[in-house]
Amino acid sequence: MPSRFILKCKSMQDKFVIRNSKFVFPVRVGTLPLTVAALIAFVFIAFVLWFPKPPPKPDGTWTRIVEEGVFRVGIDPSFPPFEYEDGNGNVIGFDAALAVEIARQWSVENEKPLRVEFVYSGYDGLYDALKAAQFDAILSALPYDPRKTEDVRFSFSYFNGGPLIVARADDDKTKTYFDLAKRRVGVELGSSGDAFARRWQRRLQYDLRFYHSPAEALRALTRGQVDGVFTDFIAQSDFARREGGVKIVSQPLADELLVIAVRKDSPTLLAQINAVIAAMKKDGRMEKLMGEWLSQ
Amino acid sequence: MRSIRQARLVQSQRIKEVRARLRAAFCQRRHAGVPCPTLSMNFAQALFRQARSGAEGQGAWRGLLRIAERIFFIAKIIALAIIIAALGAPPPILVTLGAQQTVQTKNSKMGIHTRLTDEVDEWKIKKSVEMVRAMGAPWIVEYFPWGYIEATEGQYDWTHADLVVDHARRQGLTVIARLGFVPNWARPKDSVISYLDESRYSYFANFVYAFAEHFRGRIRYLVIWNEPNLNFEVGYRGVDAASYTRLLEAVYARAKQADPSIQILAGALAPTLAPPGSLDAMNDLEYLQKMYDAGARAYFDALAVHAYGWQERADAPPAPTRVNFRRTELLREIMVKNGDAGKRVFITEGGWNDHPRWTKAVSPAQRIEETLSAYEIGRQWEWLDALALWAFRYPFPAQSYLDYFTFVTPEFDAKPIYFEVQKYAR
Repeated sequence: MPSRFILKCKSMQDKFVIRNSKFVFPVRVGTLPLTVAALIAFVFIAFVLWFPKPPPKPDGTWTRIVEEGVFRVGIDPSFPPFEYEDGNGNVIGFDAALAVEIARQWSVENEKPLRVEFVYSGYDGLYDALKAAQFDAILSALPYDPRKTEDVRFSFSYFNGGPLIVARADDDKTKTYFDLAKRRVGVELGSSGDAFARRWQRRLQYDLRFYHSPAEALRALTRGQVDGVFTDFIAQSDFARREGGVKIVSQPLADELLVIAVRKDSPTLLAQINAVIAAMKKDGRMEKLMGEWLSQ
Repeated sequence: MRSIRQARLVQSQRIKEVRARLRAAFCQRRHAGVPCPTLSMNFAQALFRQARSGAEGQGAWRGLLRIAERIFFIAKIIALAIIIAALGAPPPILVTLGAQQTVQTKNSKMGIHTRLTDEVDEWKIKKSVEMVRAMGAPWIVEYFPWGYIEATEGQYDWTHADLVVDHARRQGLTVIARLGFVPNWARPKDSVISYLDESRYSYFANFVYAFAEHFRGRIRYLVIWNEPNLNFEVGYRGVDAASYTRLLEAVYARAKQADPSIQILAGALAPTLAPPGSLDAMNDLEYLQKMYDAGARAYFDALAVHAYGWQERADAPPAPTRVNFRRTELLREIMVKNGDAGKRVFITEGGWNDHPRWTKAVSPAQRIEETLSAYEIGRQWEWLDALALWAFRYPFPAQSYLDYFTFVTPEFDAKPIYFEVQKYAR
């Protein structure tokens, strides 16, 4: 057996040289490196393709939820309209209704009754309580925090509380903040809308006017004192319901995403939560829930 | 097998021929007997070969030349490696102190508590103090942990502290140094960092001596300990104003030995309405009086005060039963009552919080209004030298309501309150 590979073996002279029009370069092709490389590649591909991945560790939290029929939700009911008490000791609000809706869908899918149990916790202690397994998930107007992703898993966002552009109801010109260039913009002093407006003021050169509350800024809008207001969905909805005359004309200018957090060892629970959120967004239930609780 | 061997010989011979042709093709100087540089041969190698061929027959010289050639080859490889490493390594970040700056402000008492203790990068330290200066605040309060500087007994590492102080001073800021944080070697195992047994007060006094001596001419104000009227701030030894007074006594003389002009600031008490007998805390008004009762008057030069407004307005009238900004006036009254009217007051913490959910927070607009109002009230207090609010910026998020005390985000994004304070100061 020859000890070397031979490339295009026409003659012995051609075995180790490659010719071109100008120069002649000697080239040697040894067998050992090629053989070793081929073996390594073969073993690697075989390992990847033939050896099945170990089955994922079962999600004990999800198993317990299904078996016991109880979804334990950590909540700080001190933040209307997201979560608060109704005076009879019941937790109500958008987040509470969302938790109930999630559990209702699971009940249907599993053909087994499933209820929500709210576990109270101080807002700053929610993460620690989740880690200590005092409940299965945090659903308490929790903002997405990338720095926490080492400790918990976050669901899809179910609400964006970032500032939006609000214009008068009869204003068909204002669509983006570029349309407000060199015009008058109102914000609540110190709010996230204020922070956003200051960042763009130099470029768009609008006349930035400050108000003590979002309602004052929106009232100035309806009175024609400003041409647009940067405020959040809830402030706008509340004002629109009480006084009217305003409308949202943009997507959020900056993200303030609210999410649900579960422990790292709850991938199935997270997938189930995400599936319900996605379905609710698709079939309009989420929008209906927002209209029911956040626009009151 | 034989034919293969023969074939190899032929191949080998052929390759030699090809190499010789190649060498000849590139060689411009075809002198007889002079080796011609090949593609891979550089000029130095050619010289070596030429010299070697000249030393033909002289064994010793030829051997030496071979060694020299190999040393040169190794040196070349090392040089190449150094060049590759130099190209691959990120360039050092050059941060200089820069030119001496001054603070432009209409209120020379304005200050802010910085949080540079855990700030690693020098450029962030510089950026922080630059922004403080640009905001119009000539004073900063900064924490210098004893445990960081003297992690090993008797061995001081001033590197980080020097960075902070030198950058701050270059921006025209006056530094008030807050001292605390007991190193491991000075406290029992498993005790908390605020635990300092009375038998170790002299150790802390030695540190204060070293600190005052090291920063003589650069730092003039030292705050001794933080909120000693809270049990956890004294390592759960129990709140004891007399014990704190003994700490002041231990520190005061040593600090003055190191720098006679140093000003010792006592107190920095937490404003609290803790009921009598509480194990967690002592009412700050009661605590200050107990300090005087224990003879503290002789051991401090000025009083450090924490003045938080919580949900009250900055101009809300003070009362012993309320915690608000003007509670400072009640502490001042105790000083006057105890014959210390001549001593100055420094507010080293204070302010409002605009967290959307914290029970003691206010709205962002109210926070801005009260902050500006507080700076203005402080300007009119003739007995007050500085009003440093909590806090300019955290090096990383606290991930709690505490993040809503700051003026600037960890990413150096100035919050609206920063711009409003800046506007006020101009």
